[in-house]
Amino acid sequence: MIQIPPPPPPAVEIPPPERSVGTQDEVRVAAALTDARVRVDSSFSGASIVLYGAVFNPGDTPADVVVVVRGPEAPIRLVQKTRTFGIWLNSRPVLFEGAPGFYMTASTRPLSDIANFGELRRLGVGVDHLRIAAPEERRTVTRYGVRDVVVSRLGEDYLDWRRAVIRLKEATALYDTDPDGVSFVDRGLFRAEIELPAVAPTGQYFAEVWLFQDGRPVSVSNLTLTVEKVGIERDIYEFAHRRPWTYGVLCVLLAGLMGYVGSRVFRRS
Amino acid sequence: MDIYLPIAEVSVHWPSLVLLGAVVGFVSGLFGIGGGFLMAPILVFMGIPPTVAVASQASHVVASSTSGVISYAGQGGVDFRLGGIMALGGAVGALAGVELFRYLRLLGQADLVVAVSYLVFLGAIGTLMLKESLTAILHRKQGRPPPRKDRRRPLWLYGLPFKMRFPRSGLYISVIPPLALGAFVGVLSAIMGVGGGFILIPAMLYILRMKAGAVVGTSLFQIIITTAITTVLQAGRNQTVDVVLSTLLLVGGVVGAQYGARLSGRFRAEEMRAALGLIVLLVGIQMGLELFVRPSDPFEVAPGIADG
Repeated sequence: MIQIPPPPPPAVEIPPPERSVGTQDEVRVAAALTDARVRVDSSFSGASIVLYGAVFNPGDTPADVVVVVRGPEAPIRLVQKTRTFGIWLNSRPVLFEGAPGFYMTASTRPLSDIANFGELRRLGVGVDHLRIAAPEERRTVTRYGVRDVVVSRLGEDYLDWRRAVIRLKEATALYDTDPDGVSFVDRGLFRAEIELPAVAPTGQYFAEVWLFQDGRPVSVSNLTLTVEKVGIERDIYEFAHRRPWTYGVLCVLLAGLMGYVGSRVFRRS
Repeated sequence: MDIYLPIAEVSVHWPSLVLLGAVVGFVSGLFGIGGGFLMAPILVFMGIPPTVAVASQASHVVASSTSGVISYAGQGGVDFRLGGIMALGGAVGALAGVELFRYLRLLGQADLVVAVSYLVFLGAIGTLMLKESLTAILHRKQGRPPPRKDRRRPLWLYGLPFKMRFPRSGLYISVIPPLALGAFVGVLSAIMGVGGGFILIPAMLYILRMKAGAVVGTSLFQIIITTAITTVLQAGRNQTVDVVLSTLLLVGGVVGAQYGARLSGRFRAEEMRAALGLIVLLVGIQMGLELFVRPSDPFEVAPGIADG
């Protein structure tokens, strides 16, 4: 397969509507999530959300369903380890702006069987076609006081770096491709599972449910999913970020106090 | 049994964190050191981001050192004047160290510097301790008197200005060496997440040549202040201190440290030093190995983007 870098995202993107849209006459897909809010509390160790939906397909043409879930975008920095004089050293970090923090696809068949390369790339469906914004032209800038940070396209190495982003994310279960993750439970009724690992970022997630016929997208349904910290987890996180200095002092006082209490308790016994 | 850590943003098996705290606390009570050099690598191995591991375990060091200082102070084993001066240097060092660490993270070289520091410092100190204590053990086994200690103090230490008396330590020296030693340990404390006892104690014994009875207590006192400052700075500048993580660690640590301290009287001093030297050396080699072993993936995520 010839790998070419995916095109830059279109300049103006129309915000997707929250309803299902029929791009042709009657063929339509509708979907919903069992839980549109994932609460991250102290017992959170990942979550599994069920997405279910229905396909209205009066014709005879078979239809394929593809579910794409994107997490909040977060810049990611990568280094490459190279061997110099027998020691593995880090290269200069390369910044990829706006790789999604979570990305998964689930489909009824392997994506390459459902639609052709160009179509998938145009829609940004599948990890190979994911738009990871590494700026097109080569430039180095001064960032946070560090000179010569490469924020640029990496020439012929670009694909290696891009693949590394995906591979590392897949290793932590943040990126996933499931070629038979969408299963039909009844005629026209399907379900898919979204597995969120414990390291999944918090924020707004967007799910797209595509319906393909003859390699063309015929309908799409858009859903949103919120992952947020709740309860004590949220309080601690907010406190640590809003009043970091007070938080630090309290941590130290707590530690000192526990050390003191410990030595008191044990001296008596 | 898993608990989600709010700052580290990972889910871990909490009883093993308490156990880890207890084991490291036990080692720290046994040998009179902070034990941070042991804990940081294990936390990273458990999947906690290195920056959070380094910053959060500092408060474990504060807790175990506090209970240590309380018991040593009761026996007059803490030189508060010398410890205070070293802590002053430590504060400056910690301040510089936290900034240096930020800069290294942005360069993507933080893990490299951490690995090199572990290899160099732990490797060197571990080797020295092991060699010195094995010689002492060998001499005792053969019934020979222990090798005579070189009691001369290095001359350059005494030519320096700003002399001060430290009666508890039996010293009359310039304030520059303790200040510099404190600053150096402060930098290490920020970068390696260690208290620095494994460097301070030999340096105080063999370079400053202070009274042996005051060494451990004074180094613990200086470590409390330096690591306390480091913790506040890491929380304030980098938001990498996870209070849930550090509380779990220090619950185990406080208990473990007490048992370790009780047991420490049962062993001979040189055997203790040999065991500690071996542990230090092994950790140093283990951390340094990553410099020489081919990584499973040549690409790696560089931490430190969330903070601008």
